[in-house]
Amino acid sequence: MSELALSVVAPLFNEEENVRPFVAAVQAALEPGDDWELVLVDDGSRDGTAAAIEEMTRKDRRVRLIPLARNYGQTAALQAGLDHARGEVVVTLDGDLQNDPADIPRLIVKLDEGYDIVSGYRERRQDRWLTRKVPSWVANRLIRWITGVPIRDNGCALKAYRRDVVERLHLYSDLHRFITAVAAATAGARITEVPVRHHARQRGQSKYGLSRTLKVLVDLLTIKMIRTFRERPLVMFGLGATAAATLAVSFGVAALASLSFQTAKAQAFVFPSATLLWFELAGYLLMLGLIGEVALREVRQSSNEIPIVHEEP
Amino acid sequence: MVVASKTNTSTRRTGEGAEQVRRLVSVIVLVNERAESLVELYEEYSAPLRTNGIDHEFIFVAQPWFSRLLEPVRSLARNGTPIRAVELAQPSTEATLVKVGAKVAQGDILVTLPSYRRVEASALPTLIEQVEAGVDLALARRWPRSDSWINRIQSRLFHALLGRLSGERLEDVACGVRAMRPELLDQITIYGDFYRFLPLFALREGYRVAEFDCPQHPKDRGRRIYSPGVYLRRMIDVLGLYFLLRFTDKPLRFFGLIGSVVCLAGAGILVVLLAQRLAGYGIADRPLLLLGVVLLVLGTQAVALGLMGEIIVHLHASGRRGYRLRSSAASTGHPDPRKDGSD
Repeated sequence: MSELALSVVAPLFNEEENVRPFVAAVQAALEPGDDWELVLVDDGSRDGTAAAIEEMTRKDRRVRLIPLARNYGQTAALQAGLDHARGEVVVTLDGDLQNDPADIPRLIVKLDEGYDIVSGYRERRQDRWLTRKVPSWVANRLIRWITGVPIRDNGCALKAYRRDVVERLHLYSDLHRFITAVAAATAGARITEVPVRHHARQRGQSKYGLSRTLKVLVDLLTIKMIRTFRERPLVMFGLGATAAATLAVSFGVAALASLSFQTAKAQAFVFPSATLLWFELAGYLLMLGLIGEVALREVRQSSNEIPIVHEEP
Repeated sequence: MVVASKTNTSTRRTGEGAEQVRRLVSVIVLVNERAESLVELYEEYSAPLRTNGIDHEFIFVAQPWFSRLLEPVRSLARNGTPIRAVELAQPSTEATLVKVGAKVAQGDILVTLPSYRRVEASALPTLIEQVEAGVDLALARRWPRSDSWINRIQSRLFHALLGRLSGERLEDVACGVRAMRPELLDQITIYGDFYRFLPLFALREGYRVAEFDCPQHPKDRGRRIYSPGVYLRRMIDVLGLYFLLRFTDKPLRFFGLIGSVVCLAGAGILVVLLAQRLAGYGIADRPLLLLGVVLLVLGTQAVALGLMGEIIVHLHASGRRGYRLRSSAASTGHPDPRKDGSD
């Protein structure tokens, strides 16, 4: 089987009207070459998206359809596309034409400068100001601050990956918002950004809303913890236990102090009990950390994943 | 054995298009509770299959304490009736019975039956026909019902709760008379008491699941009131189901929400107490202080447990795939898409 140089991956959900212009745009962007494929993931669309893609696959052998059994959401759809992409370089983008396929070559050039991931950065974003741009600005600041990956625009779907990264990337839940952070944490990828064009939505419905803030916050906490402690959960829980033990000791001191100066009966149990509770928390966290080490031993044994290695020529 | 039968089907499917496809149906009888004479059960349920000309085999899978009931079945089998009797060596769960039965089964369609009568035997051809028509999992729904109002109220409440928690609308998950494609049991992880909830997992995985009205069996009419322990276990099952359906790959969303609410309450109490202390009131004799600390500790424990879960999920992520391809595509064959790139 011939090695493909490039896979373009796009998840589509109810984008019937966009399929044809999108495929045409990708073809136009990559036309002279023949060593690429376009992997279109139909994320359980309820309109004619799958049929439209199927029609395109018949016209152009480089177009492939990956149909999912139901609507799984963007993360799973993206992972499905990455799993089925065969190219040495994989470029992902949204199928709604808000990303411009004409930017793909620019990303690849940047990738060849020695990066593992090149992420698009939407320079003049064409979206609603209050419901899309402001939350996005806050979220990106927060993500950059917490994950430490210097990416200005985590929401941009247009990204280019080297094969090494794709094979180490396992997305689940709603992690598609933090791909760069996950990749940096687990694969040790070198990441950079290039400005890309962004168009206003021409056809079809936007599938995003504002109601994601809490989820994003929880996911951020998760990423941070995974990034810091995936190798040693006991360290994380041990630190927590230390904090709890410190509180226990300070409450114990307060207990002794209040006992010696006053005489009311309730004081005989409030502070001492609180002290015991904090100690209990410390013990619990320590035990949880130990169990964690045991639970993860087996997984580590079976997964032989090592981060990307850069060999300088 | 199972593998062989599957390759067999696929050649049959593609090879002889127009010709009448002869399917083998494996009926797995789960002899788990409330078992009566299995030979009578066999006679009753195999009759409509024979009259409809459906090739079939019956597989009785029994818990060890029902081994006595298997004897008459075994003697039938020795006379050449298409029956197999399997007995577990040690007690196990319903899910294990199903898995053992499916392993032995050679059919292209699996039917599972409880060892007591829920619906009229005529239900079987109906369900089998639906699976042949493309439904992945066909469920019998006892309708019209003619049993005691106590049974019906229990059933209504149970299914209303299931519907709320899972977001799926099924009216008789508990019936247990089901026909399905064998792949279903390979693809969906079922253990413990979760075979009952297979339809909900199947729906979530994007399989086609549908209920079909089947007349209720006269023997199913008796009033059923269980011991409190049974209801308690059912509730625990539902809680487990809810968690598995919603939070399998994001445990922190569940524990984090509970934990942070409890933590905030505790922290609020402590802040109020601290303010009072700074204003000059003593707090060492205030039980409220204990409540604040208890809540804070409890919340922290929940969040910590969620984080642990999150780390476990993360490290397992490489071996799991969070999606399933539509079955038409799956049957054209790439069992492991990750291998596509390398060969």
